[in-house]
Amino acid sequence: MSEQTPVRRPWWLGLVVVAIGALWLQQGSILPELGGYAGVRPGAFVEIVGLALIALGLVLIGQIARGVSFEPQDAENAESGARPSMRALVFAAAGAAIPLLTMRPLGFPLTAMLAFALVTHAFGSRRIVFDCAIGLLLGLGCWAGFTKLGVTLGGALPLAGV
Amino acid sequence: MEAFHSLLSGFGVALQPVNLMWAFLGSVLGTAIGVLPGIGPALTIALLLPVTVKVAPTAAFIMFAGILYGAMYGGSTTSILLNTPGESGSMMTALEGNKMARTGRGAAALATSAIGSFVAGTLATLALTFLAPAIAELAFVFGPADYFALMLLAFTSVSVVLGSSRVRGFIALFLGLALGVVGIDGPSGQARLAFGSPDLLDGIDITVVLVSLFAIGEILYVASRFRSAPPVVNPLAGGSWMTREDWKRSWKPWLRGAAIGFPIGALPAGGTEVPTFLSYTIERRLSRHKEEFGRGAIEGVAGPEAANNSAAAGILVPLLTLGLPTSATAAVLLAAFEGYGLQPGPFLFVNSADLVWGLIASLYVGNLMLLVLNLPLVGLWVRLLLIPRPYLYGGILVFALVGIWGVGTSWMDLLLMFVIGLMGYVMRVYDFPIAPVLIGLILGPTAETQLRRALSIGEGNPAVLLSSPLSVCLIVLALAVLFLPALLRKLRTNA
Repeated sequence: MSEQTPVRRPWWLGLVVVAIGALWLQQGSILPELGGYAGVRPGAFVEIVGLALIALGLVLIGQIARGVSFEPQDAENAESGARPSMRALVFAAAGAAIPLLTMRPLGFPLTAMLAFALVTHAFGSRRIVFDCAIGLLLGLGCWAGFTKLGVTLGGALPLAGV
Repeated sequence: MEAFHSLLSGFGVALQPVNLMWAFLGSVLGTAIGVLPGIGPALTIALLLPVTVKVAPTAAFIMFAGILYGAMYGGSTTSILLNTPGESGSMMTALEGNKMARTGRGAAALATSAIGSFVAGTLATLALTFLAPAIAELAFVFGPADYFALMLLAFTSVSVVLGSSRVRGFIALFLGLALGVVGIDGPSGQARLAFGSPDLLDGIDITVVLVSLFAIGEILYVASRFRSAPPVVNPLAGGSWMTREDWKRSWKPWLRGAAIGFPIGALPAGGTEVPTFLSYTIERRLSRHKEEFGRGAIEGVAGPEAANNSAAAGILVPLLTLGLPTSATAAVLLAAFEGYGLQPGPFLFVNSADLVWGLIASLYVGNLMLLVLNLPLVGLWVRLLLIPRPYLYGGILVFALVGIWGVGTSWMDLLLMFVIGLMGYVMRVYDFPIAPVLIGLILGPTAETQLRRALSIGEGNPAVLLSSPLSVCLIVLALAVLFLPALLRKLRTNA
């Protein structure tokens, strides 16, 4: 692998792990001293986890410096060696992010429709109206069916008070 | 003898028409998701958790068991006909099975895999029947220090065995542990890492993490590297079924696979990858048709498939007796138990005997159903693969939304879904194993509780962690596991 392609050095990966560890360590350290049990403060375990993540992040940075290889995992329908398409990734990520904006005002069925259409677009479908229709049907079906089964999915269209 | 008695009463539960219906539903669903790419048993069960709140626990677990076993059957179908192993456990099946299918022996490969799965699944369930109560009995003597040592063993083994790099395995584990400490700390009542959000006070739900990592991470990953060429399905038509010769060459690998899969599956280091690999290696060594290996040897399908199913039953041993999950699916099953307020472990066998034995009995029933569902109907299942990929992955996202929004209609959960989904994407790109995150998340709080209990018993002296022979043994084992990968690599190069 590494003979043809230049070695990837994803430094940021190690840095992110160290940063998460540091955040947990800091949050653990500001917890009050007094806990329920003798010997162990409520922050102790949090600090251990934070320290371990910092240490592991540093080891990972060391590995990256030595040029360890990162080979993407295999998945069905995916070519692990293929050049990733940023465009498709952005559309799929938009599908996962759109509920943050629309779930509360627009409700489940319309959110499902938008998310569905964005993902189908990411996978190369270009029939936007048709995809939205299928997404809306699926969203309505899921909303009605699962609400009936006792899962709380909120109103069908909260903006209109439904 | 007592186990036999309990099993009989378990059949009384499992054979009730309602429960048969749940077992059937689980088997159908399990086979379907096993065939479909992008959805595995862990994700399916996680998505069903909110729905099953209204269902009696026994019925729900009978369905989950059907999903667990069904996914194994379905997974082998795609490995053989498509050369796309849905999970690491079917990798070896794809190797030989797909070659068989290409030379018109697909039907025989499917048959030996289905019958092998049935034989091994049944034998392993039998072992579970008699072994589980004994281990549960043993677990009564476990003190907090022993439990903590057991968790350490589980932590090191999942981080080391799953995935290709120990460092990345441990990072995944500690990310899970980090997510697990979020929320109110029980003993002290302190809010930890809630960052002022009331939604985080209850902690992060495992459904949210699991669905985000498996569904959202997978959608992002596959979308970015999507291969739009339609998959090539090997034709089934014209192939001959198992011949006399095939039966003769299959039955021993079935039995050996079952014998290898169950104990390894039952170990905390468990999983299905190691036993299937081991079974393949052994069959290759023992076979009289060595030249066929790599070109479609039936032993190479029969053995690993049997080992695969047998290991799946093995995973239930530590889960039911000690409350110790060793795979992503087991982690979500543990979450399901907790959702019903049940604590797997020795007391489960005493307090919820109906549930445990109904579940075990339904494994026999489910296996039989799956054999019937899979052998004659395989052509029908393959049709599921014709679902256009854009709609399949769009649909997975909609169901993921049901699962996550359904947990508590919380906006914070949607935010977590997005962030953890991105994390799932990065983990796939840089080859971090995913299951350790879930094991850390679900076992972390338990490990912390046991650690604090042990330390408060020992009045803060850490030596208490090594005070019993059992805890010493377990900690030594946990350290030993750290050196297992070197051994495995050696096995791999020899193969």
